[in-house]
Amino acid sequence: MLLLPMDLYSKDINNNIIVGANIGNVPWEFQDSDGSYIGFEIDLVNKVGEQLKRKIKIINIPFNGLFAAVQSGRVDLAISSINITEKRLESVSFTQPYYDSDQSLTVLNNSKIKNLYDLKGMIVAVDTGSTGDIWATENNEKYEFGEIRRYEGLVPAMLDLVIGRVAGYISDIPALLYYTKDKPNLEVVERMPTGGLYSMMLRKNNSLLFEVNDVLIEMKRSGELNELHKKWFGKFAAKNSSTIKILDIPKSSGKLNLNLTETFLNKRVFLETYPMLINGFYITIQLGLLSILLGLIWGLLLSLIRLYSNAFLRFLVKTYINVFRSIPLLVFLIIVFYAFPFVGIRFSPFNAALFSLVIVSGAYFAEIFRSGIEAIPKGQFEAAKALGLSPYHTMVDIILPQAIKIVIPPLTNNCINVLKDTALASIVALPDLLKQATQAQAIAANPTPLIVSAFIYLIFLLPMILWVSRIEKRYRSGKQL
Amino acid sequence: MSVLINLKNVSKHYGNFCAVKRINLNIVEGEVLCIIGPSGSGKSTLIRCINYLEEYDGKGKITVNGITVKKGNNLKNIRKEVAMVFQNFNLFPHLNILKNVMLGPIRSLKVSQSNAKKRAYDLLGKVGIKDQADKFPFQLSGGQQQRVAIARALAMKPKVILFDEPTSSLDPEMVSEVLDVIKDLAGTGVTMVIVTHEMSFARQVADKIIFMDEGVIVEEGSPDQIFDDSKKERTRIFLKSVLKA
Repeated sequence: MLLLPMDLYSKDINNNIIVGANIGNVPWEFQDSDGSYIGFEIDLVNKVGEQLKRKIKIINIPFNGLFAAVQSGRVDLAISSINITEKRLESVSFTQPYYDSDQSLTVLNNSKIKNLYDLKGMIVAVDTGSTGDIWATENNEKYEFGEIRRYEGLVPAMLDLVIGRVAGYISDIPALLYYTKDKPNLEVVERMPTGGLYSMMLRKNNSLLFEVNDVLIEMKRSGELNELHKKWFGKFAAKNSSTIKILDIPKSSGKLNLNLTETFLNKRVFLETYPMLINGFYITIQLGLLSILLGLIWGLLLSLIRLYSNAFLRFLVKTYINVFRSIPLLVFLIIVFYAFPFVGIRFSPFNAALFSLVIVSGAYFAEIFRSGIEAIPKGQFEAAKALGLSPYHTMVDIILPQAIKIVIPPLTNNCINVLKDTALASIVALPDLLKQATQAQAIAANPTPLIVSAFIYLIFLLPMILWVSRIEKRYRSGKQL
Repeated sequence: MSVLINLKNVSKHYGNFCAVKRINLNIVEGEVLCIIGPSGSGKSTLIRCINYLEEYDGKGKITVNGITVKKGNNLKNIRKEVAMVFQNFNLFPHLNILKNVMLGPIRSLKVSQSNAKKRAYDLLGKVGIKDQADKFPFQLSGGQQQRVAIARALAMKPKVILFDEPTSSLDPEMVSEVLDVIKDLAGTGVTMVIVTHEMSFARQVADKIIFMDEGVIVEEGSPDQIFDDSKKERTRIFLKSVLKA
């Protein structure tokens, strides 16, 4: 078995404690108007640093990235209102909890939805891999949600709730009560008791666990933790809550130590999550192939307009091609998904991703087709004309078959890029392969699904890449296909 | 004999450069016309105006079989009547020999697949490469490729075939096989306009010869008149220089 000295990574040269936090998670960790990090848990870790006489360095990491960050040693400690769960305990350690939490349902104030049963057939938003995600998935049959859509945090989910793309948002109640208190258009309408307990997460058997836990004991004993509760929630915590009571460090019923293979290629996690990954792969393939097909058609059309239409259209297409080759696909996708609704254009996640991929890849395909057509000798056009062929048949019978053959390598490369770029659709809550993998790794608190998804991409794309390089070699040696 | 092609005041400018200057010419049906002259004298430009591969200047006018050669719907009717054989063959490299010959009739004349195939085989037999029908152009020698190009032109059943220096790209040993095919055609009644540097071929095959220099027709006449009894000094100097070689 492989065993790497993983602690090497977590040892900061200045002996700082590196803390991973999903900044924007009110009121736990967020930014004030001058950009400094504030919040309940920020105060808490600063107190820990003070007591241990070590500096705290905070890194902003999305919620579902915290688990891999802790296990790989990129951070020593993770905060972000993380619930202790049995599954997570199998892969990571938690200090004793310091906050009791439940799940909640937030809706628009003027909507007809007043409780969970009203969500039948509707789309509900959750944070990828969060307790809300786990709760919604487990209760899906009972309430018959139309779809569970997974977002990267509160802000994008709220955007879609306000736009009306989702009917409700299921997430931890303290954050939502805090977030909605100055927003009269939003309302927390239900509290689902899940007995959630927030805690700080560390890598298994990290010696820091006991030191941090001791600080928590001291803060509970002195009442400092309760003061923090008063500061951020306006009142003291309930008598028998975990904010007051001193508790044990939660223990896993499973194995205590995981070696490298068990962490990164865990068979149990793999067997549990691969159906999710296969579903994600199916969506990735659908999105990828459809984007390529439409992108090719669109690109060919653009190239023909650019080459053969009047000056005005040529100028338009040239501008289009230059603009969309300059805009990063991710930026365009976010604009399409989150900004277009304000002008009345609402795409589903799949259609937003498809639209963006076709629009952007079409610009690249157009340039490839153009270079191919321009490489065909003038004599071919003349011979076709002399035979009385129409412009259509000149293209279809004579020019395109030759031009496409020339540009097969760059076309295939662009197809590979499109297939890889489908992963960006995760950002608009499309359950593609990457999204499913991040969700699975957050629920299992184990990076295995991410590693497996990398292998799936590899198995799928590698043959195409090898095929292209073979063709390119044959072209260079001047042989006919 | 009726006039098949009429050129009236035809000029062609490329920017400020005048390649062809105010040409007037009649070509009668069944005639074999050879155009000779030094490189850059406008010979190729002139015949490329006849099927409108070159857009001649607006003041001139070309008619083929009474139809004016200009942009528009009539152009495809013109091109059904006027076939062309190019210096660089311009066969379609992605189609086999048979399909190269079949494509024009199928697309432009709406001939059925089976009729086009039958005719293609006939023509390939006529130019002596029937057994290469399934090969691709790059598998054939230059002479064979040009003979395919002639078969492709004939497949359109044209009234006239334009030959644009048909042997200039060929290795010397292949020139005669192509010229022989053209000579055979001369007896069949098809009108031919041939731009060529092969003087003895021109003399042998032509009904009429035109000598061009600097975009104008310097002299025209029967082969005997031009080669033996030229009235113009420029013609004589040119012929002297090429025949000496």
